[in-house]
Amino acid sequence: MRAELLSCVLFFGCVLALPGLWKRDAPFEEVKTRLDWNHQDAEHDEPDKYFHEANFHPHYDGRFGDKKLKYEERMSHLAALIQTYLSSMNDVGAETWIMHGTLLGWWWNRQIMPWDTDLDVMVSEATIHYLAEYYNMTLHHYHLPGLETGRDYLLEINPHYSNDEIDGANHIDARWIDTETGLFIDITTLRRNKTAQSHGEADAMMVKDKHHYMYDDIFPLRASVFEGIPAKIPFAYAELLIEEYGELALSSVFYQNHRFQPEKQEWKPLSCRDYGTCDQLHGSGNGVNLPAESEESSAAPGWLQKLRSAAREDGLPRAVGLDGKLFEYSKLLTRPIRSLRWSN
Amino acid sequence: MEKSRDGDNDEQPLGELQAELTAELSKPLDWRAAAEESKQHEKSNRIPASVSPLRSEHTAWPSRHGGYVRQGGPLIDQVTNSWRTEEKASAYYVSVTDEEQDLRCYGPGDEDTCPTGSRGLVRSRRFRGMIAVVLAIALFAWYGWRCYLPLRREWDDKLGFLPSSVNGTYGLARGGDFDGTAIKWLHHSLVPGGKSDPEGKRRLIFVGDIHGCKDELLHLLHKVSFNSETDHLIPTGDVISKGPDNAGVLDELIRLNAESVRGNHEDRILALAKTSSTPHLDSQTPATTSKGSSKDHKLLTHLKPHHMRYLRSMPLMLRIPALPYTSTSSPTWLSNSKHHDRITEDIIVVHAGLVPHLPLPKQDPYFVMNMRSIDHITHIPSALRQTKKGKSKPWSKVWNWYNDRLAHGRSLKNFHLYTSEEHEAEQAEVQESWVDRFWYFALGRRQPRHRQEKPEVVVYGHDSKAGLQLRRWSKGLDSGCVGGGKLTALVLDARGRTEVVQVGCRDWK
Repeated sequence: MRAELLSCVLFFGCVLALPGLWKRDAPFEEVKTRLDWNHQDAEHDEPDKYFHEANFHPHYDGRFGDKKLKYEERMSHLAALIQTYLSSMNDVGAETWIMHGTLLGWWWNRQIMPWDTDLDVMVSEATIHYLAEYYNMTLHHYHLPGLETGRDYLLEINPHYSNDEIDGANHIDARWIDTETGLFIDITTLRRNKTAQSHGEADAMMVKDKHHYMYDDIFPLRASVFEGIPAKIPFAYAELLIEEYGELALSSVFYQNHRFQPEKQEWKPLSCRDYGTCDQLHGSGNGVNLPAESEESSAAPGWLQKLRSAAREDGLPRAVGLDGKLFEYSKLLTRPIRSLRWSN
Repeated sequence: MEKSRDGDNDEQPLGELQAELTAELSKPLDWRAAAEESKQHEKSNRIPASVSPLRSEHTAWPSRHGGYVRQGGPLIDQVTNSWRTEEKASAYYVSVTDEEQDLRCYGPGDEDTCPTGSRGLVRSRRFRGMIAVVLAIALFAWYGWRCYLPLRREWDDKLGFLPSSVNGTYGLARGGDFDGTAIKWLHHSLVPGGKSDPEGKRRLIFVGDIHGCKDELLHLLHKVSFNSETDHLIPTGDVISKGPDNAGVLDELIRLNAESVRGNHEDRILALAKTSSTPHLDSQTPATTSKGSSKDHKLLTHLKPHHMRYLRSMPLMLRIPALPYTSTSSPTWLSNSKHHDRITEDIIVVHAGLVPHLPLPKQDPYFVMNMRSIDHITHIPSALRQTKKGKSKPWSKVWNWYNDRLAHGRSLKNFHLYTSEEHEAEQAEVQESWVDRFWYFALGRRQPRHRQEKPEVVVYGHDSKAGLQLRRWSKGLDSGCVGGGKLTALVLDARGRTEVVQVGCRDWK
């Protein structure tokens, strides 16, 4: 991947200059790319909330996205998102590491888990100050393999980042936003927990979203790879994952309608083959990996159209029975699948 | 008889009067016999009047021998209408249940006053029958429980190895990375009793967590009369941090050609050395980092490039093949049953622990250097001794259970599989007909198992709180030297004999 820092567009103006007005994210008119109107839902948010999510899904930015992406599209866009973020941060020398669901994906196979719709990374306090001072509202232009046109990614810092207090509306300190689709990465800052430190817990750290950590569980960071790009991992990664998700999250190969194939090291959506019920269903797929819509779109049988419209919604693995009923694979699951599948 | 109740009739003037009367009457008679008899009955038949005032009216009582107590005085004086009441009294006696009789004897200080009651109880057939039934039931329940417990325990231990309990297990995910040689075999020239040691003079000296305690290390080496010609030193990791002379310990280990595995503290130092970009390490104070981290930064300034090279060369696991002398000189059953202090199998040296049944390359490096317990169902390890859910066991316990099973040749059927080759082999085995199995049996060929596994001994450190932990298949050597405990060495000779040698340590913490 060829990374280019094409332009550093700095938007001052509205963010800090006008006293008496709420700080809010860059206005739609100034940052819009392909959309004609704003899909944000700012009226329903708290008045001093800086970032506003899209009205159709909380993991999209309504200034750039107008619809939820389909399963496979979303996977490739999210992968590009983290790849561009990690390489940009590597380039500017910003200390960042992956956390939460993204770290769990790293543990399983160094990739984003396909059912994830957002990504989580953390930065240190020094880094957020550095990014805010030099890289706020910068656009990073990337030419990605497989995409004909280049794409811009926006780094937007929440001006509340300098406030150490717990702030429910502004616990996200910055976002890395795909200006084509509206997908984004939440960036949070690991801070010193001053309350705990005043009570004698010298190594206590916190994040504004109320997560708590010990300094030595995060630092020194380990070097690894995520989605093919060098990435940093917290030192006690396994302990953090158990603490947050429990032991089963590190061992169970069935999760969120997906099955992990140990041989291929891949999460695959469940299909009728996992249940041996293919003869009771239309088609033998899983309602996720459907044939492209362009071919015979209107001539498609009813069950296929049903599956397509459902997949457009959220991309969960579904099937249509011979009686024409649409259902999710998870509903089919009366008891857990007991054996691993080693070949597919 | 009346006399015998004298003392108890304080509250009954009528009884008192009666007693006086009888005492006077008995004087001219054979008082000796009466006194003797009454003495006897004082013990056996004395009944508090307050408990049964009814009886104070009776003048005669059935004695212990079934007859009547002979009273003093002329016989004529003894004649009463007692036959009338006597029938009633005895009828009363018969109707009194065992319990009631027992109750009457329950006053404090009265334990030895009613032997007839408890004897009656023992003599009662119904009661004896009941006791026998209760005893039989209790015995049966106890026996059943005793039979059930090991089965239950066995099932509990087995649960974590079976795919039927949960969807998946530890080791299927990719897990963490290790930047270095993860698995290293001990060089064959260093194996006691190996080709380069036909006389079997070589020894392996395993040492628990040293933590920079150089003086203690030198003292220990002196105590085991370390000879660099024939002895090979293998520390179990955590040779640095916390203690007084980390660089000194590293120099000593390098000089002796010692081969340590990587511990969590070496891992931390190496990760720190990679990430710290600031050349002025003195600026890393606890205020900006943490107490442990600023100490590590300070330690990093004392370490020279050759120290860092040595730290980087430490493998995650060091494997030692079964010593040649032990496999030829003694049958395995001997070593299995009685000689627990001998090591005749392959040895793996790690810092913290291993999860049984999981192939070594799939063990997550973080846990190999940090684990203390493992979850009993998912087998996910933890650095804690007990996890939040409280369903974890010490890893060494599970390791010993599994290796005992291997040593006894017990089946691993239905245990977790980790690769498709294992899966295919098992499928082939399942499809094998009983005729094939019969031929395997008849021809004396062993049934093909899906994985040829041998029991292995793990030598480890890390758990100083647990202290010295010597089990059949695991040898925990961290006895907390840096905190004022002991520094432990396990000396292994070419015949597989082991000896534990310890020296005391100063408290450096």
